[in-house]
Amino acid sequence: MERRTVRQRDNWREVAEEHGFTFHTPEGERYWDESHAYRFTLREIEEDLEGPAEELEQMCFEVVERAAADEEVLRRLKVPEMFRGYVADSWRNRERNLYGRMDFRYDGSGPAKLYEYNADTPTALYESAIFQWVWLEQAMEQGIVPEGSDQFNSLHERLIDAIGRFGIDGPLHLACARDTDEDLGTIEYLEDCARQAGLGTRRMFVEDIGLAEDGRFTDLDDEPVRWLFKLYPWEWLMAEEFGSRIPGSGTQFIEPGWKAVLSNKGLLALLWEMFEGHPNLLPTFFEDDPKAATLDGRYVCKPLLSREGANIAFVENGRTVMDFDGPYGAEGFIRQAHAPLPSFGERRPMCGVWLVASEPAGMCIREDKGAVTTDDARFVPHFILD
Amino acid sequence: MKRSGKIALVMMGTSALTLTACEEPKTEAAIFETVEQCVAEQGLTAEQCYGEFDAAKAQHAEVAPKYASQADCEADFGPEGCEAAPYRTDTGGSVFMPLMAGFMMGQMMSGRAYTQPLYRSQDDSKNFRTANNRSIGGTIGRTQVSERAAGRPAQKLHTQQRGGFGARARATGFGAGA
Repeated sequence: MERRTVRQRDNWREVAEEHGFTFHTPEGERYWDESHAYRFTLREIEEDLEGPAEELEQMCFEVVERAAADEEVLRRLKVPEMFRGYVADSWRNRERNLYGRMDFRYDGSGPAKLYEYNADTPTALYESAIFQWVWLEQAMEQGIVPEGSDQFNSLHERLIDAIGRFGIDGPLHLACARDTDEDLGTIEYLEDCARQAGLGTRRMFVEDIGLAEDGRFTDLDDEPVRWLFKLYPWEWLMAEEFGSRIPGSGTQFIEPGWKAVLSNKGLLALLWEMFEGHPNLLPTFFEDDPKAATLDGRYVCKPLLSREGANIAFVENGRTVMDFDGPYGAEGFIRQAHAPLPSFGERRPMCGVWLVASEPAGMCIREDKGAVTTDDARFVPHFILD
Repeated sequence: MKRSGKIALVMMGTSALTLTACEEPKTEAAIFETVEQCVAEQGLTAEQCYGEFDAAKAQHAEVAPKYASQADCEADFGPEGCEAAPYRTDTGGSVFMPLMAGFMMGQMMSGRAYTQPLYRSQDDSKNFRTANNRSIGGTIGRTQVSERAAGRPAQKLHTQQRGGFGARARATGFGAGA
Protein backbone atom coordinates (compact mmCIF):
# COMPACT_ATOMS: atom_id res chain seq x y z
CA MET A 1 0.00 0.00 0.00
CA GLU A 2 1.44 3.34 -0.99
CA ARG A 3 0.12 6.82 -1.48
CA ARG A 4 1.17 8.22 -4.85
CA THR A 5 1.03 11.77 -6.04
CA VAL A 6 -0.63 11.63 -9.46
CA ARG A 7 -1.61 14.06 -12.16
CA GLN A 8 -5.27 15.06 -12.06
CA ARG A 9 -7.40 14.74 -15.15
CA ASP A 10 -7.76 18.22 -16.66
CA ASN A 11 -11.49 17.84 -17.16
CA TRP A 12 -12.50 15.88 -14.09
CA ARG A 13 -15.12 18.45 -13.13
CA GLU A 14 -16.84 18.09 -16.50
CA VAL A 15 -16.62 14.32 -16.22
CA ALA A 16 -18.26 14.61 -12.81
CA GLU A 17 -21.11 16.65 -14.30
CA GLU A 18 -21.58 14.15 -17.09
CA HIS A 19 -21.88 11.34 -14.59
CA GLY A 20 -24.22 13.12 -12.20
CA PHE A 21 -21.60 13.53 -9.45
CA THR A 22 -22.97 16.72 -7.95
CA PHE A 23 -21.41 16.76 -4.48
CA HIS A 24 -17.69 16.55 -5.30
CA THR A 25 -16.96 19.94 -3.71
CA PRO A 26 -19.60 20.57 -1.04
CA GLU A 27 -19.64 24.14 0.31
CA GLY A 28 -16.44 24.84 -1.59
CA GLU A 29 -14.52 22.18 0.34
CA ARG A 30 -12.83 19.54 -1.72
CA TYR A 31 -14.29 16.05 -1.25
CA TRP A 32 -13.23 14.19 -4.38
CA ASP A 33 -9.43 14.40 -4.47
CA GLU A 34 -7.52 12.74 -7.32
CA SER A 35 -4.26 14.59 -6.77
CA HIS A 36 -3.22 11.40 -5.00
CA ALA A 37 -4.13 7.77 -5.32
CA TYR A 38 -3.47 4.69 -3.22
CA ARG A 39 -1.81 1.71 -4.83
CA PHE A 40 -2.41 -1.76 -3.42
CA THR A 41 -1.06 -5.15 -4.35
CA LEU A 42 -3.58 -7.84 -5.22
CA ARG A 43 -2.40 -9.80 -2.19
CA GLU A 44 -3.10 -6.87 0.11
CA ILE A 45 -6.61 -6.55 -1.28
CA GLU A 46 -7.50 -10.21 -1.29
CA GLU A 47 -5.79 -11.48 1.83
CA ASP A 48 -5.82 -8.44 4.08
CA LEU A 49 -9.15 -6.79 3.24
CA GLU A 50 -11.51 -8.85 1.10
CA GLY A 51 -10.97 -12.14 2.92
CA PRO A 52 -11.28 -10.66 6.41
CA ALA A 53 -14.43 -8.71 5.44
CA GLU A 54 -16.02 -11.94 4.26
CA GLU A 55 -15.09 -13.71 7.47
CA LEU A 56 -16.21 -10.82 9.67
CA GLU A 57 -19.58 -10.78 7.94
CA GLN A 58 -20.09 -14.40 8.95
CA MET A 59 -19.10 -13.51 12.52
CA CYS A 60 -21.59 -10.64 12.41
CA PHE A 61 -24.28 -13.12 11.41
CA GLU A 62 -23.49 -15.10 14.55
CA VAL A 63 -24.00 -11.96 16.61
CA VAL A 64 -27.36 -11.32 14.97
CA GLU A 65 -28.30 -14.96 15.44
CA ARG A 66 -27.56 -14.58 19.13
CA ALA A 67 -29.46 -11.29 19.35
CA ALA A 68 -32.50 -12.88 17.69
CA ALA A 69 -32.48 -15.68 20.26
CA ASP A 70 -31.64 -13.62 23.36
CA GLU A 71 -33.54 -10.41 24.03
CA GLU A 72 -30.89 -9.40 26.56
CA VAL A 73 -28.49 -8.71 23.67
CA LEU A 74 -30.97 -6.29 22.09
CA ARG A 75 -31.46 -4.65 25.47
CA ARG A 76 -27.72 -4.08 25.76
CA LEU A 77 -27.78 -2.49 22.31
CA LYS A 78 -30.61 -0.22 23.51
CA VAL A 79 -33.02 -1.45 20.87
CA PRO A 80 -36.40 -0.17 22.14
CA GLU A 81 -38.47 -2.90 23.75
CA MET A 82 -41.29 -2.73 21.23
CA PHE A 83 -38.84 -3.36 18.36
CA ARG A 84 -37.01 -6.34 19.80
CA GLY A 85 -39.49 -8.83 18.40
CA TYR A 86 -39.55 -7.00 15.07
CA VAL A 87 -35.76 -7.06 14.75
CA ALA A 88 -35.59 -10.73 15.72
CA ASP A 89 -38.35 -11.63 13.26
CA SER A 90 -36.65 -9.79 10.41
CA TRP A 91 -33.66 -12.06 10.96
CA ARG A 92 -35.67 -15.25 11.42
CA ASN A 93 -37.59 -14.46 8.24
CA ARG A 94 -34.26 -14.11 6.45
CA GLU A 95 -35.08 -10.66 5.14
CA ARG A 96 -32.49 -9.76 2.56
CA ASN A 97 -29.98 -6.99 2.99
CA LEU A 98 -28.47 -4.82 0.29
CA TYR A 99 -25.19 -3.30 1.36
CA GLY A 100 -22.87 -2.05 4.06
CA ARG A 101 -19.36 -0.76 4.59
CA MET A 102 -16.78 -2.01 7.07
CA ASP A 103 -14.24 0.62 8.03
CA PHE A 104 -10.73 -0.67 8.71
CA ARG A 105 -7.47 0.56 10.05
CA TYR A 106 -4.97 -0.70 7.49
CA ASP A 107 -1.53 0.44 6.34
CA GLY A 108 -0.28 -2.49 4.25
CA SER A 109 1.44 -4.27 7.13
CA GLY A 110 -0.23 -6.48 9.66
CA PRO A 111 -3.90 -7.37 9.83
CA ALA A 112 -6.61 -4.84 9.06
CA LYS A 113 -8.52 -3.86 12.19
CA LEU A 114 -12.26 -3.26 12.12
CA TYR A 115 -13.12 0.18 13.52
CA GLU A 116 -16.82 -0.11 12.84
CA TYR A 117 -19.47 -1.41 10.50
CA ASN A 118 -21.71 1.07 8.70
CA ALA A 119 -24.30 -1.57 8.01
CA ASP A 120 -27.42 0.56 7.86
CA THR A 121 -26.96 3.92 6.09
CA PRO A 122 -23.56 4.08 4.41
CA THR A 123 -22.90 6.80 1.86
CA ALA A 124 -19.84 7.32 -0.40
CA LEU A 125 -21.41 4.56 -2.48
CA TYR A 126 -21.84 6.38 -5.78
CA GLU A 127 -18.32 7.80 -5.85
CA SER A 128 -16.94 4.38 -4.94
CA ALA A 129 -18.92 2.47 -7.54
CA ILE A 130 -18.99 4.93 -10.44
CA PHE A 131 -16.69 7.88 -10.23
CA GLN A 132 -13.74 5.95 -8.86
CA TRP A 133 -14.22 3.37 -11.63
CA VAL A 134 -14.36 6.05 -14.32
CA TRP A 135 -11.24 7.63 -12.83
CA LEU A 136 -9.30 4.39 -13.21
CA GLU A 137 -10.36 3.89 -16.83
CA GLN A 138 -9.40 7.45 -17.77
CA ALA A 139 -6.27 7.44 -15.62
CA MET A 140 -5.02 4.42 -17.53
CA GLU A 141 -5.94 5.97 -20.91
CA GLN A 142 -4.13 9.18 -20.00
CA GLY A 143 -1.07 7.43 -18.58
CA ILE A 144 -1.73 8.67 -15.07
CA VAL A 145 -1.54 5.12 -13.76
CA PRO A 146 -0.03 2.16 -15.65
CA GLU A 147 -2.11 0.15 -18.14
CA GLY A 148 -3.18 -3.14 -16.63
CA SER A 149 -4.06 -1.63 -13.27
CA ASP A 150 -7.18 -2.88 -11.58
CA GLN A 151 -9.49 -1.79 -8.78
CA PHE A 152 -11.36 -3.55 -5.97
CA ASN A 153 -14.74 -2.43 -7.25
CA SER A 154 -17.48 -4.63 -8.65
CA LEU A 155 -20.06 -2.58 -6.75
CA HIS A 156 -22.11 -1.46 -9.72
CA GLU A 157 -22.64 -4.91 -11.17
CA ARG A 158 -23.34 -6.45 -7.80
CA LEU A 159 -25.79 -3.78 -6.69
CA ILE A 160 -27.91 -4.25 -9.81
CA ASP A 161 -27.77 -7.99 -9.38
CA ALA A 162 -28.62 -7.85 -5.67
CA ILE A 163 -31.54 -5.43 -6.08
CA GLY A 164 -32.96 -7.78 -8.71
CA ARG A 165 -32.93 -10.64 -6.21
CA PHE A 166 -35.18 -9.11 -3.58
CA GLY A 167 -38.28 -10.41 -5.32
CA ILE A 168 -39.72 -6.89 -5.47
CA ASP A 169 -43.02 -7.15 -7.36
CA GLY A 170 -44.12 -3.52 -7.38
CA PRO A 171 -42.43 -0.16 -7.31
CA LEU A 172 -39.43 0.28 -5.03
CA HIS A 173 -39.63 3.48 -3.00
CA LEU A 174 -36.32 5.11 -2.05
CA ALA A 175 -36.26 7.72 0.68
CA CYS A 176 -33.79 9.95 2.50
CA ALA A 177 -34.11 13.06 4.65
CA ARG A 178 -34.53 16.49 3.05
CA ASP A 179 -31.62 18.87 2.54
CA THR A 180 -28.82 16.30 2.42
CA ASP A 181 -27.11 16.38 -0.97
CA GLU A 182 -24.90 13.42 -0.23
CA ASP A 183 -27.77 11.24 0.97
CA LEU A 184 -29.87 12.28 -2.02
CA GLY A 185 -26.98 11.41 -4.34
CA THR A 186 -26.86 7.96 -2.78
CA ILE A 187 -30.52 7.18 -3.29
CA GLU A 188 -30.43 8.63 -6.80
CA TYR A 189 -27.67 6.21 -7.59
CA LEU A 190 -29.49 3.25 -6.05
CA GLU A 191 -32.60 4.27 -7.95
CA ASP A 192 -30.56 4.14 -11.14
CA CYS A 193 -29.38 0.63 -10.21
CA ALA A 194 -32.95 -0.44 -9.43
CA ARG A 195 -34.14 0.76 -12.84
CA GLN A 196 -31.37 -1.24 -14.45
CA ALA A 197 -32.58 -4.24 -12.47
CA GLY A 198 -35.94 -3.76 -14.19
CA LEU A 199 -37.84 -2.25 -11.26
CA GLY A 200 -40.22 0.69 -11.20
CA THR A 201 -39.03 3.27 -8.70
CA ARG A 202 -40.34 6.24 -6.71
CA ARG A 203 -38.00 8.60 -4.94
CA MET A 204 -39.21 10.53 -1.92
CA PHE A 205 -38.25 12.13 1.38
CA VAL A 206 -38.83 10.35 4.68
CA GLU A 207 -40.65 13.50 5.86
CA ASP A 208 -43.27 12.89 3.16
CA ILE A 209 -44.12 9.35 4.18
CA GLY A 210 -47.79 9.15 5.05
CA LEU A 211 -49.88 6.79 7.11
CA ALA A 212 -53.20 5.38 5.85
CA GLU A 213 -56.03 4.33 8.14
CA ASP A 214 -55.29 0.67 7.62
CA GLY A 215 -51.75 1.20 8.96
CA ARG A 216 -49.92 1.12 5.66
CA PHE A 217 -47.38 3.78 4.74
CA THR A 218 -48.07 5.91 1.66
CA ASP A 219 -46.15 8.12 -0.74
CA LEU A 220 -47.20 11.59 -1.90
CA ASP A 221 -49.51 10.02 -4.52
CA ASP A 222 -51.22 8.09 -1.73
CA GLU A 223 -49.88 4.87 -3.16
CA PRO A 224 -48.89 2.18 -0.66
CA VAL A 225 -45.19 1.90 0.14
CA ARG A 226 -44.66 -1.82 -0.05
CA TRP A 227 -40.87 -1.85 -0.55
CA LEU A 228 -38.82 0.91 0.98
CA PHE A 229 -35.12 1.55 0.70
CA LYS A 230 -34.51 4.09 3.45
CA LEU A 231 -31.28 5.96 3.85
CA TYR A 232 -32.34 6.83 7.35
CA PRO A 233 -31.03 5.11 10.47
CA TRP A 234 -33.12 2.45 12.12
CA GLU A 235 -32.73 3.99 15.57
CA TRP A 236 -34.22 7.23 14.25
CA LEU A 237 -37.12 5.48 12.54
CA MET A 238 -37.85 3.57 15.75
CA ALA A 239 -37.80 6.69 17.91
CA GLU A 240 -40.00 8.89 15.72
CA GLU A 241 -43.75 9.41 15.69
CA PHE A 242 -44.54 6.80 13.03
CA GLY A 243 -42.01 4.35 14.45
CA SER A 244 -44.57 2.36 16.36
CA ARG A 245 -46.48 1.80 13.12
CA ILE A 246 -43.57 0.08 11.37
CA PRO A 247 -44.24 -3.50 12.55
CA GLY A 248 -47.86 -3.39 11.36
CA SER A 249 -47.25 -1.48 8.14
CA GLY A 250 -46.59 -4.40 5.84
CA THR A 251 -43.70 -2.40 4.38
CA GLN A 252 -40.58 -4.37 3.62
CA PHE A 253 -37.61 -2.24 4.66
CA ILE A 254 -34.19 -2.21 3.02
CA GLU A 255 -31.97 -2.41 4.99
CA PRO A 256 -33.97 -4.88 7.08
CA GLY A 257 -34.55 -4.44 10.82
CA TRP A 258 -31.73 -6.75 11.85
CA LYS A 259 -29.21 -4.26 10.45
CA ALA A 260 -29.94 -2.27 13.63
CA VAL A 261 -27.78 -4.85 15.42
CA LEU A 262 -24.83 -4.44 13.05
CA SER A 263 -24.84 -0.66 12.74
CA ASN A 264 -24.71 -0.31 16.52
CA LYS A 265 -21.19 0.18 17.92
CA GLY A 266 -22.14 -2.36 20.58
CA LEU A 267 -21.58 -4.89 17.77
CA LEU A 268 -17.85 -4.40 18.23
CA ALA A 269 -18.06 -5.29 21.92
CA LEU A 270 -20.20 -8.33 21.12
CA LEU A 271 -17.78 -9.47 18.42
CA TRP A 272 -14.87 -9.21 20.87
CA GLU A 273 -16.85 -11.08 23.49
CA MET A 274 -17.58 -13.93 21.07
CA PHE A 275 -14.32 -13.94 19.06
CA GLU A 276 -11.78 -12.53 21.48
CA GLY A 277 -8.32 -12.35 19.98
CA HIS A 278 -9.43 -12.45 16.35
CA PRO A 279 -6.70 -10.70 14.34
CA ASN A 280 -9.12 -8.30 12.61
CA LEU A 281 -10.83 -7.15 15.80
CA LEU A 282 -9.81 -4.49 18.29
CA PRO A 283 -10.41 -5.20 21.98
CA THR A 284 -13.75 -3.52 22.67
CA PHE A 285 -16.11 -3.46 25.65
CA PHE A 286 -19.36 -1.89 26.72
CA GLU A 287 -18.38 0.97 29.02
CA ASP A 288 -20.12 -0.62 32.00
CA ASP A 289 -18.28 -3.93 31.52
CA PRO A 290 -15.64 -4.41 34.28
CA LYS A 291 -13.34 -5.89 31.63
CA ALA A 292 -13.13 -2.43 30.02
CA ALA A 293 -10.50 -1.75 32.69
CA THR A 294 -8.13 -4.10 30.83
CA LEU A 295 -7.69 -1.42 28.13
CA ASP A 296 -4.68 -0.01 30.02
CA GLY A 297 -6.00 3.51 30.22
CA ARG A 298 -5.70 4.22 26.52
CA TYR A 299 -8.85 3.81 24.51
CA VAL A 300 -11.49 5.46 22.36
CA CYS A 301 -15.02 6.10 23.58
CA LYS A 302 -17.67 5.78 20.89
CA PRO A 303 -21.43 6.22 21.30
CA LEU A 304 -23.47 3.10 20.57
CA LEU A 305 -25.29 5.12 17.94
CA SER A 306 -23.44 7.79 16.00
CA ARG A 307 -22.17 8.73 12.59
CA GLU A 308 -19.33 10.58 10.94
CA GLY A 309 -17.08 10.62 13.97
CA ALA A 310 -19.46 12.61 16.14
CA ASN A 311 -19.11 12.34 19.93
CA ILE A 312 -15.98 10.21 19.78
CA ALA A 313 -13.47 10.79 22.61
CA PHE A 314 -9.86 9.68 23.03
CA VAL A 315 -8.87 8.78 26.55
CA GLU A 316 -5.36 8.38 27.99
CA ASN A 317 -4.75 7.40 31.57
CA GLY A 318 -8.29 8.23 32.44
CA ARG A 319 -8.12 11.70 30.88
CA THR A 320 -9.94 12.76 27.76
CA VAL A 321 -7.24 14.09 25.46
CA MET A 322 -9.39 14.80 22.44
CA ASP A 323 -13.09 14.71 21.75
CA PHE A 324 -15.50 15.50 18.97
CA ASP A 325 -18.78 17.34 19.31
CA GLY A 326 -22.02 15.90 18.21
CA PRO A 327 -25.59 15.09 19.07
CA TYR A 328 -25.11 11.45 20.05
CA GLY A 329 -24.29 9.44 23.14
CA ALA A 330 -27.56 9.25 25.07
CA GLU A 331 -27.72 5.46 24.67
CA GLY A 332 -24.29 4.80 26.15
CA PHE A 333 -20.78 4.11 24.87
CA ILE A 334 -18.29 1.43 24.02
CA ARG A 335 -14.58 1.56 24.75
CA GLN A 336 -12.36 0.43 21.92
CA ALA A 337 -8.60 -0.12 22.13
CA HIS A 338 -6.67 2.81 20.69
CA ALA A 339 -5.45 2.01 17.17
CA PRO A 340 -4.59 5.29 15.47
CA LEU A 341 -5.16 5.76 11.77
CA PRO A 342 -1.91 5.35 9.84
CA SER A 343 -0.20 8.43 8.46
CA PHE A 344 0.69 8.68 4.79
CA GLY A 345 2.34 12.06 4.53
CA GLU A 346 0.03 14.46 6.26
CA ARG A 347 -3.02 12.39 5.54
CA ARG A 348 -4.65 9.55 7.45
CA PRO A 349 -6.58 7.09 5.30
CA MET A 350 -9.40 4.82 6.37
CA CYS A 351 -10.10 1.75 4.22
CA GLY A 352 -13.80 1.13 3.76
CA VAL A 353 -14.66 -2.30 2.38
CA TRP A 354 -18.07 -2.53 0.75
CA LEU A 355 -20.29 -5.53 1.03
CA VAL A 356 -23.21 -6.10 -1.32
CA ALA A 357 -25.69 -8.78 -0.27
CA SER A 358 -23.08 -9.68 2.36
CA GLU A 359 -20.26 -10.30 -0.11
CA PRO A 360 -17.17 -8.07 -0.34
CA ALA A 361 -17.58 -5.97 -3.47
CA GLY A 362 -15.26 -3.00 -3.40
CA MET A 363 -13.36 -0.40 -1.47
CA CYS A 364 -13.18 3.30 -0.82
CA ILE A 365 -10.51 5.33 0.87
CA ARG A 366 -11.34 8.46 2.76
CA GLU A 367 -8.60 10.63 4.15
CA ASP A 368 -8.74 13.08 6.99
CA LYS A 369 -6.05 15.24 8.54
CA GLY A 370 -6.89 14.26 12.07
CA ALA A 371 -7.34 11.17 14.19
CA VAL A 372 -10.95 10.61 13.22
CA THR A 373 -12.51 10.28 9.77
CA THR A 374 -15.27 12.87 9.77
CA ASP A 375 -17.70 14.44 7.38
CA ASP A 376 -14.80 16.58 6.09
CA ALA A 377 -12.75 13.61 4.87
CA ARG A 378 -11.67 13.48 1.25
CA PHE A 379 -12.34 10.61 -1.09
CA VAL A 380 -9.11 9.42 -2.74
CA PRO A 381 -9.24 6.77 -5.49
CA HIS A 382 -7.26 3.53 -5.37
CA PHE A 383 -5.82 1.09 -7.88
CA ILE A 384 -4.33 -2.37 -7.77
CA LEU A 385 -0.95 -2.95 -9.39
CA ASP A 386 1.54 -5.65 -8.50
CA MET B 1 -10.36 -8.52 -12.76
CA LYS B 2 -11.72 -7.16 -9.50
CA ARG B 3 -13.78 -4.38 -10.99
CA SER B 4 -17.06 -4.11 -12.88
CA GLY B 5 -16.78 -4.90 -16.57
CA LYS B 6 -18.80 -1.89 -17.57
CA ILE B 7 -20.66 0.99 -16.01
CA ALA B 8 -23.92 2.42 -17.27
CA LEU B 9 -26.23 4.95 -15.72
CA VAL B 10 -29.75 5.32 -17.06
CA MET B 11 -30.97 8.25 -14.98
CA MET B 12 -28.01 10.12 -13.52
CA GLY B 13 -25.83 12.50 -15.50
CA THR B 14 -26.12 14.06 -18.93
CA SER B 15 -25.79 10.86 -20.97
CA ALA B 16 -28.83 9.51 -19.16
CA LEU B 17 -30.85 12.64 -19.94
CA THR B 18 -30.58 12.17 -23.68
CA LEU B 19 -31.95 8.67 -23.30
CA THR B 20 -35.06 9.75 -21.46
CA ALA B 21 -35.77 12.63 -23.85
CA CYS B 22 -37.08 10.18 -26.47
CA GLU B 23 -40.77 10.12 -27.42
CA GLU B 24 -42.83 7.91 -25.22
CA PRO B 25 -44.12 4.88 -27.09
CA LYS B 26 -47.85 4.79 -27.82
CA THR B 27 -50.26 1.92 -27.83
CA GLU B 28 -53.80 1.08 -29.02
CA ALA B 29 -56.74 1.58 -26.68
CA ALA B 30 -60.42 2.51 -26.73
CA ILE B 31 -62.04 5.01 -24.41
CA PHE B 32 -65.74 5.28 -23.55
CA GLU B 33 -67.89 7.20 -21.12
CA THR B 34 -70.59 4.53 -21.10
CA VAL B 35 -71.04 0.88 -22.04
CA GLU B 36 -73.59 1.98 -24.65
CA GLN B 37 -70.95 3.99 -26.52
CA CYS B 38 -68.76 0.92 -26.48
CA VAL B 39 -71.46 -1.42 -27.82
CA ALA B 40 -72.13 1.06 -30.64
CA GLU B 41 -68.47 0.93 -31.68
CA GLN B 42 -67.94 -1.24 -34.72
CA GLY B 43 -66.20 -4.52 -34.05
CA LEU B 44 -66.97 -4.67 -30.35
CA THR B 45 -69.62 -6.96 -28.89
CA ALA B 46 -71.89 -6.22 -25.93
CA GLU B 47 -70.25 -9.08 -24.07
CA GLN B 48 -66.79 -7.60 -24.56
CA CYS B 49 -67.97 -4.15 -23.55
CA TYR B 50 -69.71 -5.25 -20.37
CA GLY B 51 -66.77 -7.45 -19.45
CA GLU B 52 -64.26 -4.62 -19.78
CA PHE B 53 -66.53 -2.09 -18.13
CA ASP B 54 -66.98 -4.41 -15.15
CA ALA B 55 -63.23 -4.93 -14.94
CA ALA B 56 -62.69 -1.16 -14.82
CA LYS B 57 -65.54 -0.58 -12.37
CA ALA B 58 -64.14 -3.24 -10.05
CA GLN B 59 -60.89 -1.28 -9.69
CA HIS B 60 -62.53 2.10 -9.19
CA ALA B 61 -62.75 2.17 -5.38
CA GLU B 62 -59.22 0.85 -4.99
CA VAL B 63 -57.36 3.08 -7.44
CA ALA B 64 -59.31 6.37 -7.35
CA PRO B 65 -57.64 9.24 -5.46
CA LYS B 66 -58.94 9.59 -1.90
CA TYR B 67 -59.95 12.70 0.07
CA ALA B 68 -60.83 13.35 3.67
CA SER B 69 -63.63 15.75 2.80
CA GLN B 70 -66.16 16.11 0.03
CA ALA B 71 -65.13 19.75 -0.40
CA ASP B 72 -61.47 18.81 -1.04
CA CYS B 73 -62.56 16.20 -3.57
CA GLU B 74 -64.94 18.61 -5.32
CA ALA B 75 -62.21 21.22 -5.51
CA ASP B 76 -60.42 18.84 -7.87
CA PHE B 77 -63.35 17.11 -9.56
CA GLY B 78 -66.13 19.70 -9.48
CA PRO B 79 -69.52 19.95 -7.77
CA GLU B 80 -71.37 16.64 -7.95
CA GLY B 81 -68.11 15.09 -9.08
CA CYS B 82 -67.47 12.95 -6.00
CA GLU B 83 -68.88 10.11 -3.97
CA ALA B 84 -68.15 8.45 -0.64
CA ALA B 85 -65.52 5.72 -0.84
CA PRO B 86 -66.17 2.37 0.85
CA TYR B 87 -63.55 3.16 3.52
CA ARG B 88 -63.55 4.82 6.90
CA THR B 89 -60.82 6.72 8.69
CA ASP B 90 -59.50 5.52 12.06
CA THR B 91 -61.97 7.79 13.79
CA GLY B 92 -64.92 6.62 11.68
CA GLY B 93 -64.98 9.57 9.27
CA SER B 94 -65.93 9.27 5.60
CA VAL B 95 -63.43 9.11 2.74
CA PHE B 96 -64.30 10.63 -0.65
CA MET B 97 -63.27 9.88 -4.22
CA PRO B 98 -64.18 11.15 -7.70
CA LEU B 99 -66.94 9.51 -9.71
CA MET B 100 -65.80 7.22 -12.45
CA ALA B 101 -66.17 9.22 -15.69
CA GLY B 102 -65.44 6.49 -18.17
CA PHE B 103 -63.21 3.53 -18.87
CA MET B 104 -60.32 2.55 -21.05
CA MET B 105 -60.25 -0.79 -22.84
CA GLY B 106 -56.79 -2.12 -23.25
CA GLN B 107 -56.32 -5.85 -23.65
CA MET B 108 -59.32 -6.14 -26.01
CA MET B 109 -57.63 -3.76 -28.44
CA SER B 110 -54.55 -5.98 -28.62
CA GLY B 111 -52.47 -3.07 -27.34
CA ARG B 112 -50.46 -2.71 -24.18
CA ALA B 113 -52.91 -0.46 -22.34
CA TYR B 114 -54.42 -1.76 -19.11
CA THR B 115 -58.20 -1.78 -18.81
CA GLN B 116 -59.07 0.73 -16.12
CA PRO B 117 -61.47 3.41 -14.86
CA LEU B 118 -61.06 7.04 -16.01
CA TYR B 119 -61.77 10.38 -14.40
CA ARG B 120 -62.26 14.01 -15.39
CA SER B 121 -60.80 16.78 -13.29
CA GLN B 122 -62.51 20.16 -13.06
CA ASP B 123 -59.54 22.15 -14.38
CA ASP B 124 -59.13 19.95 -17.47
CA SER B 125 -62.61 18.58 -18.04
CA LYS B 126 -62.19 17.96 -21.78
CA ASN B 127 -59.66 15.26 -21.19
CA PHE B 128 -59.78 11.96 -19.39
CA ARG B 129 -57.30 11.16 -16.65
CA THR B 130 -56.21 7.83 -15.33
CA ALA B 131 -56.36 7.08 -11.63
CA ASN B 132 -52.62 7.80 -11.66
CA ASN B 133 -53.45 11.34 -12.81
CA ARG B 134 -52.08 11.01 -16.34
CA SER B 135 -54.01 12.85 -19.02
CA ILE B 136 -54.83 10.58 -21.97
CA GLY B 137 -56.80 12.93 -24.20
CA GLY B 138 -60.51 13.43 -24.79
CA THR B 139 -61.17 11.12 -27.75
CA ILE B 140 -64.12 8.75 -27.45
CA GLY B 141 -63.62 5.45 -29.26
CA ARG B 142 -60.42 3.97 -30.62
CA THR B 143 -57.33 6.01 -29.95
CA GLN B 144 -53.60 5.98 -29.26
CA VAL B 145 -52.41 6.54 -25.71
CA SER B 146 -48.99 6.76 -24.12
CA GLU B 147 -47.92 3.31 -22.97
CA ARG B 148 -46.69 4.63 -19.67
CA ALA B 149 -49.83 6.59 -18.91
CA ALA B 150 -51.98 3.60 -19.76
CA GLY B 151 -50.22 1.17 -17.42
CA ARG B 152 -51.90 -0.56 -14.55
CA PRO B 153 -53.13 2.04 -12.04
CA ALA B 154 -51.74 1.89 -8.54
CA GLN B 155 -53.87 1.46 -5.49
CA LYS B 156 -54.59 4.77 -3.71
CA LEU B 157 -54.96 4.81 0.02
CA HIS B 158 -56.31 7.59 2.12
CA THR B 159 -53.36 9.15 3.92
CA GLN B 160 -54.49 10.32 7.33
CA GLN B 161 -51.27 11.89 8.45
CA ARG B 162 -47.80 12.80 7.16
CA GLY B 163 -44.61 14.00 8.75
CA GLY B 164 -44.20 11.23 11.30
CA PHE B 165 -40.63 10.59 10.16
CA GLY B 166 -37.74 13.02 9.82
CA ALA B 167 -37.66 14.68 13.25
CA ARG B 168 -34.24 13.28 14.19
CA ALA B 169 -32.63 14.47 10.99
CA ARG B 170 -33.89 17.98 11.71
CA ALA B 171 -32.86 17.82 15.35
CA THR B 172 -29.30 16.59 14.82
CA GLY B 173 -28.54 18.64 11.73
CA PHE B 174 -26.33 15.79 10.62
CA GLY B 175 -26.78 13.75 7.47
CA ALA B 176 -28.32 10.36 8.01
CA GLY B 177 -25.66 8.68 5.93
CA ALA B 178 -22.21 7.68 7.14
